[in-house]
Amino acid sequence: MKKLLIVSLLLAPHIPAFAEETPISGLVQTRCLITTDTNGVFGNPLPSKLSTASADGGVVPIVRYDVTLADAYVAKVTTPTAFSSSPSLTDSVAWTGTTAVSKTSDAGMSGYEAAKVTYGYTTQFDLTIAGSTWFSSTATAVYGGTKSFPGGSYTAIVVAECIAK
Amino acid sequence: MLNSIRVLLSLIVITLSTPVYSHEMTPTYPTFSKSFMAGISVTTLNIFNKRKDVSFYEIGVFTKEWKPIPFVSEYTVIPMKYLDTVSFDVYVSNLSLSSVEYICSVSQLKVGATVSSKICSRVK
Repeated sequence: MKKLLIVSLLLAPHIPAFAEETPISGLVQTRCLITTDTNGVFGNPLPSKLSTASADGGVVPIVRYDVTLADAYVAKVTTPTAFSSSPSLTDSVAWTGTTAVSKTSDAGMSGYEAAKVTYGYTTQFDLTIAGSTWFSSTATAVYGGTKSFPGGSYTAIVVAECIAK
Repeated sequence: MLNSIRVLLSLIVITLSTPVYSHEMTPTYPTFSKSFMAGISVTTLNIFNKRKDVSFYEIGVFTKEWKPIPFVSEYTVIPMKYLDTVSFDVYVSNLSLSSVEYICSVSQLKVGATVSSKICSRVK
């Protein structure tokens, strides 16, 4: 019995090992990811008004930007200036819109809101810190002064751009 | 304890019912190299489509002033399924290579979608 044990121990180092190290490789690239966090919904607080503001019964669209490299991208969010689909409208629609930072993943991003640049319906943010930023856009459409919007379904589009610097 | 479980279940239901749609393009800073054709340079980019409301992305090449530059790719409008990653080559004439500043992909929305996404890489 002892001999058998000794022979087993002597042979043990020569038994090939079947366990191998399996590497897992990956590449992290600089990137910008645009995510639709919340789809907007128009509220209809007045017959002539459609608005995404929660005070008007709407839902504010929220877009999240994820960037993995600091100071590499500019975010541009443009609120709608027309309906992409709607019933036939015979009068003009007056649009207003604003975009603001609603949430950030890093405390250092708190300055984004103060540093934003707005021109026309577009608001530009300089993404100087790596991480996630949530932008919310409020859009309001007023029809022909005080005319009532015809019944039907209305859709408008928010444009979210991520431009490398 | 029961309340905690209820809150947790509610959060899970809310998380599952909230659609999250993403658009991604890499690399941020593509570089052109010589192609198999004389006088033509090529670069390769990747798009990841995590948008159920988008099946096509349009590619564009632009100058610093956002003027379009002629280019060739397998598709100008790339068909993509949900969760697809597509790698595509962009061929540009060496004559206009110095003017190339941005290569962009723009989502082509299905009816009812409310957010259009555009990502631009920059050629430095």
